[in-house]
Amino acid sequence: MDMLLSRAVAALLTLSGLLTLGYIGISSYIAEELVYEAPKAIVKTPASLGLAFANVSFPSRNDHINLKGWFIPGVLPDGRLTADRVIVTIHGTRTNREDPGAHLLELTAALARNGFGVLSFDMRGMGESPAAPLSMGNLEQRDVLGAVDFLRSGRLPLPELGRPRMIGGLGVSMGAASLLMAAAGEPGIQAVVSDSAYAEIVPILEREIAKRSVAPIGRIPGVLAPSALVMAQLLYGVDFFAARPVATVARIAPRPLLLIHGTADDYVPITNFYALNTAATSVPGEHVTTWIVPNARHAQAFKKTGTEYVTRVVAFFDAALGAAA
Amino acid sequence: MRSLRATPPILVLFVLVALLVVITIITREISGHADFLVERQIVLLVWLAGLLIAGVVFAWFVRRAMRRDASRSRLLLMVLTVLLLASPLSLSLLQHPAP
Repeated sequence: MDMLLSRAVAALLTLSGLLTLGYIGISSYIAEELVYEAPKAIVKTPASLGLAFANVSFPSRNDHINLKGWFIPGVLPDGRLTADRVIVTIHGTRTNREDPGAHLLELTAALARNGFGVLSFDMRGMGESPAAPLSMGNLEQRDVLGAVDFLRSGRLPLPELGRPRMIGGLGVSMGAASLLMAAAGEPGIQAVVSDSAYAEIVPILEREIAKRSVAPIGRIPGVLAPSALVMAQLLYGVDFFAARPVATVARIAPRPLLLIHGTADDYVPITNFYALNTAATSVPGEHVTTWIVPNARHAQAFKKTGTEYVTRVVAFFDAALGAAA
Repeated sequence: MRSLRATPPILVLFVLVALLVVITIITREISGHADFLVERQIVLLVWLAGLLIAGVVFAWFVRRAMRRDASRSRLLLMVLTVLLLASPLSLSLLQHPAP
């Protein structure tokens, strides 16, 4: 009897050992896939839209990753260039500063034509910036803070325009999430436009992991999602669980915040917008404005509304940052 | 050497997990100076190799333990090892039941 029991335990031990080893091994492989995306080449520059610009590079805050970007001076109605008010524009995930999916370069150009200087850059691991783990905002917020440091004390191109008096930020998707987290602790960002931000990334990643295929495993079972996220933290120091703008968005108050979201967003469902709005308006003295764009899919509000988007965002920044000097 | 061979698998499991964590930390520190493109693959390779070696070592100790006289206390310890080993997977399955 004891011999039989002993063999049964041995079989159980072998089975659980094999399953656990396989589970951890495959989770590690998925984690490696999660934290890396091959950078996408930049195709167009602001010059293709008739704007003057200068290539710039600056370090991210704390970890000093050398980020690449464009500094685009604003154009005043009389044709003079200005850097009095500068908007830092931040692209979404798995793209670059051009962000063709969200038409970010076109939006950037529209801001410049309305008298705002623009600092547009590639976040770590994307575009022309150096390879780095993708953390869906938790590490990328340091890039946004590095952009603010650069505007405050870096070697700006076109020194004759002087240093910016006011700094605002406009982010799309992961760029918006990174901006919200960065602005929460950085009063130097005086106004924030957040387009299609998530409240927290883990529920979205858990859903998306189960949709992905990874060679040679094929479709990833949903049961591997939580362990893949833990392995990303253990192996690469990427804490997806900390990418939660909803936890800090209230600290942006009393600075003005504009939240934009499309009703047809199936990547970051509009419930994220409501969660962010609830958190942001939970403190006294907040200045939160919202704009829900009917039938706009993820990060497509600008594409869907065009001029109306520009008018609203320019009016928001004009009110928040004051007129250009 | 004889006492090492008699080490219960549950103790071996703890030691191996600790070793894997140490190996990961060291690898991350060393490869942290390399480019991320190289680093992430090195970390994964070292980790998977460590996992495989840990699996083989653990299996060897389990085999040794099973060949010895199976007392009640030894069997209970083995069952505890099974539960410990299966707990990460079980917890995930509980959180995310199959559709």
